[in-house]
Amino acid sequence: MFERRLYLHIDWLLLTAVLLLAGIGLAMIYSTTYDPVRERVGAEFMKQLYAVGIGVVALAICMSIDYRTLAEYSLVIYGAVALALLFVLFFGFSAGGSRRWIDLGPMNVQPSEFAKIALALVLATFFAESRRAASNTGDLLFASGFLVVLAGLIAKEPDLGTAVTLVSILLGIAFAAGLRLKIIAALVALAIVTAPAAWSFALKDYQKSRIQTFLDPEQDARGAGYQQIQARITVGSGGLTGKGFRQGTQGQYKFLPVAHNDFVYSVLAEEHGFLGVLLTLGLYLVVIQRSFDAARLAKDRLGAYLVVGLVSWFTFQVLYNVTMSAGLAPVKGLTLPLMSYGGSSIIATLASFGLVLNVRMRRFTN
Amino acid sequence: MTRLTEDRRQLPVRIAILRYGIATCFIAIGFAFWYLQVAQHQRFEEMAQNNHMRTLSLRAPRGTLFDRHGRVLVENRYAFDVSLVREQTTDLDRTLRLVAQITGAAEATLREIVARHAREPRYRPITLVQDATLAQISGLSARRLELPDILVEQVPTRQYPTDELAAHLFGYVGEITDTQLTRPENSGLHVGSIVGQSGVEQVYNKLLMGTDGARSVVVNSVGREIRTLGEQPPAEGRRLQLTIDYDLQKAAEDGFKQSGYWGSAVILDPRSGEILALVSLPAYDPNHFAAGIDRATWTALNTDKLRPLQNRAIQGRYSPGSTFKIVVATAALEEGLVTPDHKVFCAGGGTFYGRFFKCHLSGGHGWVDMRHAIEKSCNVYFYTLGNMLGVDRIHKWGALLGLADKSGVDLPHEIDSLVPSTAWKKARTGEKWYAGETISVAIGQGQVSVTPMSLAVMMATIANGGTRHVPHLVRAIDDGTGWTPTPPPAPKSVSLMKPETVAALHDGLWMVVNGAGTGGRGRIADIAVAGKTGTAQVISNQGKAAAGKTDRDLRDHGWFVFFAPKDTPELAGVVFVEHAEHGYFAAPIAKHVIQTYYAKKRGEPLPVFNAPAVPTVVAGTAPVAPRAGGGN
Repeated sequence: MFERRLYLHIDWLLLTAVLLLAGIGLAMIYSTTYDPVRERVGAEFMKQLYAVGIGVVALAICMSIDYRTLAEYSLVIYGAVALALLFVLFFGFSAGGSRRWIDLGPMNVQPSEFAKIALALVLATFFAESRRAASNTGDLLFASGFLVVLAGLIAKEPDLGTAVTLVSILLGIAFAAGLRLKIIAALVALAIVTAPAAWSFALKDYQKSRIQTFLDPEQDARGAGYQQIQARITVGSGGLTGKGFRQGTQGQYKFLPVAHNDFVYSVLAEEHGFLGVLLTLGLYLVVIQRSFDAARLAKDRLGAYLVVGLVSWFTFQVLYNVTMSAGLAPVKGLTLPLMSYGGSSIIATLASFGLVLNVRMRRFTN
Repeated sequence: MTRLTEDRRQLPVRIAILRYGIATCFIAIGFAFWYLQVAQHQRFEEMAQNNHMRTLSLRAPRGTLFDRHGRVLVENRYAFDVSLVREQTTDLDRTLRLVAQITGAAEATLREIVARHAREPRYRPITLVQDATLAQISGLSARRLELPDILVEQVPTRQYPTDELAAHLFGYVGEITDTQLTRPENSGLHVGSIVGQSGVEQVYNKLLMGTDGARSVVVNSVGREIRTLGEQPPAEGRRLQLTIDYDLQKAAEDGFKQSGYWGSAVILDPRSGEILALVSLPAYDPNHFAAGIDRATWTALNTDKLRPLQNRAIQGRYSPGSTFKIVVATAALEEGLVTPDHKVFCAGGGTFYGRFFKCHLSGGHGWVDMRHAIEKSCNVYFYTLGNMLGVDRIHKWGALLGLADKSGVDLPHEIDSLVPSTAWKKARTGEKWYAGETISVAIGQGQVSVTPMSLAVMMATIANGGTRHVPHLVRAIDDGTGWTPTPPPAPKSVSLMKPETVAALHDGLWMVVNGAGTGGRGRIADIAVAGKTGTAQVISNQGKAAAGKTDRDLRDHGWFVFFAPKDTPELAGVVFVEHAEHGYFAAPIAKHVIQTYYAKKRGEPLPVFNAPAVPTVVAGTAPVAPRAGGGN
């Protein structure tokens, strides 16, 4: 399990791109949380710095343990995460109207971030063990069971964004596992049919208003539409080369809320312009494409599915957050993986890439 | 097994689908960012600027007004304005309700103010309460936390003399109206700018206004100022030195108030046309306007039957009565029809064109020459001269002496004075002039109607021997570098009259005051005052009888026109007293002004006005026994 020659097969390009993005993220958090009055670095920056450190350790660990061994314990991991989510619902630490964290003294842990890894692991294992060549409806329903438990618990917090992210993991793995196009078409049709019902029963008022606002931000320019309008102004005012590090006005003067968190990418676009956007989008694309390479090269279906599952949630969040940062999608509390502020998020993301590296470097082992 | 291999081939295909699909999404997002950041950059850049940069205007103090001796007449004080910054407002209704409650202002009025400024940027403060009292300010600051959108600003505000002194002369200031905003000279001003709306404030607004300053600040998302980018301090308006003499102005106003009359007075320096005092009573308090006049006060001023907003000196037109005889005398002498020694026999009246015209002395004045005719104000003498002249020559000389148009004074909304002519009547009514009408005109009745200002110009012209100056109010302007004298306006005409004419008029007018005339109350022991009284009929004698008892005061107005000293006049002017029945009662006011002038000139203590017993006249009874035919 601990073979030295494995490390010769580490994907250094992927690792570098991941760490670069985390570094850029740290710089943006520094920029947005620096206190110009007291000339002090924001507490959020220090916390994130520690979290990146922990995340690198987590990455190393996840890379070192053979993913097939982890797959054997996938149900245990899944169960542990589910319990943690259950714990959160009753004893969790709440902030901003939702209960998402477990208070561990020096830092809070957000189990829903780790639910993504757990779900990818359990679904990859499930589909890999499936005897059938291509997954059928039965498999899909069974797999959906795994999804519904975690997504349900998370939606209850409430954290709809993360719950929806989990759906992307199932869809990604199922698609890779040969889910028939007919079924995909049926799912899309179902989604369209049930949308009005979901609108009436499942969505809370604030969620509805966010979507309504997205369709017409001017309608509520001081309220829910505010963030969206400000996001567009922030990005648009950045121009080609940006206003410079810590020189942004939208983020620095708090016209854009939670600039270090959900809207960190808007601030990057403001301070570093279109060129900064191209650079980071390029890095994200490198990370995603290299990960798909890992899936393609994987020794077995388990490895391939695991990587696809992890890349699915990663890609979903990147695409959504970046689109939202430009004011082009309804405002949803979805972080930008690797860059947004959030300890659990950065740790879980780095751990995920530990697993991706894990699969790739073991492509020659038996 | 074949199906398994099929699956083996399928996985890379599906991975390829995913990765190219995702790559496509990234390219699309890249284009979206390009659109926002490069194509639409200008627009968003501007929006970002508007977000965090505010330019707030700093009101410039208006220029100070001084009197001719450097005494401050109108200055500025700092008042507290209560303003609303809508950018900070969460609940406008609640804010307005609270402000109304605390300050006692009407909520509807506040709402109206906000509506008027609705189209301005939301960060620009809207003044809700001008010149708030300390009680209002402390009430508001006690509830500051509930009213984050309320701002108390210190702004320079006009301060006028507290006793309504020279109110019509100064005029008043107020917010620029929508119509005024559209005029080219007001470009650069905006809703809420304070401009002169009347008097000197209006005419010299451009000079007095100064230039508003501006302060650019960076604010954060909750509107708190983070730092100042730059500040352009306001430039105070030009300082104006008026021709007014505070003491003479005060003396004239005191005279009116002490004797219990409303009316008007214009005192000129006949050598230059400088206005030394300009009175119109009743007046108003311009301070009310400076602090943003409330609707009740404004309505009260507008509906007051005494018309306090009207500047009687240039907007009130009255029949000049016997003071017009000066014009007729001038015309007859200048046209060469008579000499000053020309005598006419007065038998208490005369018949012209089949109608008997009375003299006010029913027994008649006997033989009178020009000087005595003026002294005694003999109607028959002037009926005769008027008949010789004809209306058009009377009109010609009325016009030359300034009684047929505007004086040209630097005050707004002056109206024309009027001396009729055949052409005027033809144009107005289409009818020809009847020679009989001229007889009434000759004693300042009929359609003759003049403003106090124009009569003062006439008197100054007679006094200085024939130069018709344009009355004016500004002596010098200080633009910050020192006083620059303002060149006086060019006279409308010079050397109108022959010296013999002037001498005869001066003698006659001196005799009015110092001889057996009606101006005795204007006599001063050591100063040769010359003058003439006149009565302006409010309604004809027949009309008076017909009207019977009415609310309207139908008593005649009194005039006293004067200059002094007789041979080298330094003062000339007119005192017009409403419903005083006789010009006799205007003379003491003029006398007080003249005495004040000389006391000041000689360094003596200023005199105090001794109010003569206010005549308790009943409408219809004359205080001076012999009186008929209107003239005296």
